[in-house]
Amino acid sequence: MTPAARERARVRTPVLFISAVAWILLVLQPGGLVISAHHHSLAMPGIKMTSSAHLLTALNSPASLMTGWALMLAAMMAPLLTAPVRHLRDRSFTRRRARAIALFAAGYATIWMLAGFVLLSVALALQQIAPASSLPLMLAAAIALVWQFSPFKQRCLNRCHAHPELAAFGLAADLDAFRFGLTHGLWCVGSCWALMLLPPLAARGHLLVMAAVTLWLFSERLDQPKPPTWRYRGPNTAARVVIAQTRLRLQRS
Amino acid sequence: MQTRKNVWELGGDWADPILWYARGVKAMKARGLNQTTSWRFYGAIHGIDPPLWQQLGYYDPSEPMPADPDVQRFWKQCQHGSWFFLPWHRGYLLAFEQNIRAAAGAPADWCLPYWNYFKPNESNLPPAFNSPNWPDGNGDNPLFVPQRYGPNNDGNVFVPVDQVNLDAMGDPDFTGVSSGGGPGFGGVDTGFEHGGTTHGGIETQPHDWVHGLLGGSDPNSQLPGLMSDPDTAGLDPIFWLHHANIDRLWEVWRQNPPTDVNPTDPNWINGPGSIGQRIFSLPLPDGTPWDYTPGDMTDLGKLGYTYDDLSSAVPGAPMAERLVRLGMSPVAAKTATKGVPAVASTKKVELVGANRSALQITGGEARTSVQLDPGVRRKVAASLTAAVTTAAPDRVFLNLENVRGLVDSTAFRVYINLPDGANPADHPERLAGNIALFGVRKASLVDGEHGGKGLTFVLEITKIVDALHLNNALDVDKLDVRIVPMKPVPEKAKISIGRVSIFRQGR
Repeated sequence: MTPAARERARVRTPVLFISAVAWILLVLQPGGLVISAHHHSLAMPGIKMTSSAHLLTALNSPASLMTGWALMLAAMMAPLLTAPVRHLRDRSFTRRRARAIALFAAGYATIWMLAGFVLLSVALALQQIAPASSLPLMLAAAIALVWQFSPFKQRCLNRCHAHPELAAFGLAADLDAFRFGLTHGLWCVGSCWALMLLPPLAARGHLLVMAAVTLWLFSERLDQPKPPTWRYRGPNTAARVVIAQTRLRLQRS
Repeated sequence: MQTRKNVWELGGDWADPILWYARGVKAMKARGLNQTTSWRFYGAIHGIDPPLWQQLGYYDPSEPMPADPDVQRFWKQCQHGSWFFLPWHRGYLLAFEQNIRAAAGAPADWCLPYWNYFKPNESNLPPAFNSPNWPDGNGDNPLFVPQRYGPNNDGNVFVPVDQVNLDAMGDPDFTGVSSGGGPGFGGVDTGFEHGGTTHGGIETQPHDWVHGLLGGSDPNSQLPGLMSDPDTAGLDPIFWLHHANIDRLWEVWRQNPPTDVNPTDPNWINGPGSIGQRIFSLPLPDGTPWDYTPGDMTDLGKLGYTYDDLSSAVPGAPMAERLVRLGMSPVAAKTATKGVPAVASTKKVELVGANRSALQITGGEARTSVQLDPGVRRKVAASLTAAVTTAAPDRVFLNLENVRGLVDSTAFRVYINLPDGANPADHPERLAGNIALFGVRKASLVDGEHGGKGLTFVLEITKIVDALHLNNALDVDKLDVRIVPMKPVPEKAKISIGRVSIFRQGR
């Protein structure tokens, strides 16, 4: 194993562990972050349907929604953070590594939690327009498709590969790590927001949709930055890697 | 077995091997860009930037382009900032050599000459490349390129011998580390990398330096000389003689086992294609693609060629000499280093110190200070003190991180702790190294392959740190770093260094 491969493994293992724990918790509580408008059958005759907004809110308390969102982030986004965490680890003093990574994670999570508030509000609003229908999910999928092929998404994806210089000492180092988390979070939201709307709107197969989106997001990070244009953007690199690795393993066995 | 020979020792400025080369270049240049065996197609395999090519007169948007599958398969393939740097370029030389031989109708034993600018009196551009005329006085010598400006941008093209070195030849490890420690002789472990961030030892020096200084830049338009930019370098006929020399140095480096050996990792041997990335593929004279892996490139005997000079380029045993400097007896040092395999890859790399803010390089000089962490600095000092018994002193590396800018021909020297008012030239013992920013323009593009990270250069400063330690001068809060550009850097070149840092690599 080369030094670089060893360094990659050192970061990848804990990051995948965090993701795995979050996945287990989500599996144990399926539907934790499904916007629950489909529970219309729960509506009692005594409740006026004009208060459907209240009903939605009652079924989806902000605290539980945001907790579910945080868990979903940990499950889906942790695997995407290997490269920036390696950068922080490589360029910080040994004694400051954990602190720098924690500050980065705090900045990154701050952005995603704010984005989550907005995205879940949009998801709730969509559900209100057409409760108990798959229309909101279809609409979100259409938005995600357009964004997927847009130059704006490519620009955001490209910025996700940026590794800024980091101060080494004192407050400046802390601020740089936090700032790196914020900016990385912003570009990450920019490239992933539309796809992240899908899991909360998927009443059926919620976890499957989450898994598919996770794989998709992970795959597109394997591609190198490209000039931003309208174009098909899919997991080609990931598919080639999987095929090549399978072939290698078959040859060895 | 064919033998590549020294261009200065062929028996004349226009000896037969050079004439055949010129004829081959002429024939390839006569072909259109849409032909896979044309001169410009081969240049585009290394790299292409159509607007830059157009500005330099090498591309016309109205001309027929090659078929898209050929572009996808062959173009923009050169490996830089990667452990594939050496094997990819070896294949590139081999395929090119076949094409020249076929295009010129040269004898079957014709070989590409190499230019060993390190040899006394051989640092000037070989004369056949420096004249617009053929030996009979006709003025379309295809080996001549007007866009070669030289180290002083005045058209005098030579390699300044006091500025190139073979320090990388003393690195026992092929594969380096990307986290601030030694970048290795051959580079760091990457996938397919058309413009990687961290350049390996032999790539940094002499490879990058020779590229940047031969090419230079047009003093009026600031456009790069062909050799200065990876996207145009393959268009200059001297490129191939420079790379033949780098290829020769790789083979020279391998003469010292059990260290100095090629990687055995399957990812290196099988190349990026084996992990689903682009393969290495080059067009042969009949237009068919030849696919190869780094593993195919390791044995010159099997490849059917050698060099006329594979003698050691670095006298002595650097590690044993170092241990003696640090106080070990010569006999003990020889025993301690005999047969030691490459072990640096198992060692720890950690930050020792860094400067406070980004450094802009303009004009004739830039200065900064690297503040040291007292605890880690003491760790370095302790390892040097204990070297007499452990035989494992730390190695120390200066990192120039996130180097960004617009002008690839920018080159500078880096000094540590130069006394105030001192003339840098008087203090070679404080020279950390020479850096040429080959590839910086592309690496700085925010929508480029690396999101605008720029380049990171790693210079070994172990000798300087050893000297400070032995003079009891290492117990300090900071080390001063002075950047001395070879030519004043204009502001519009926008050259900056994101962070200057120091790393230790050891137990």
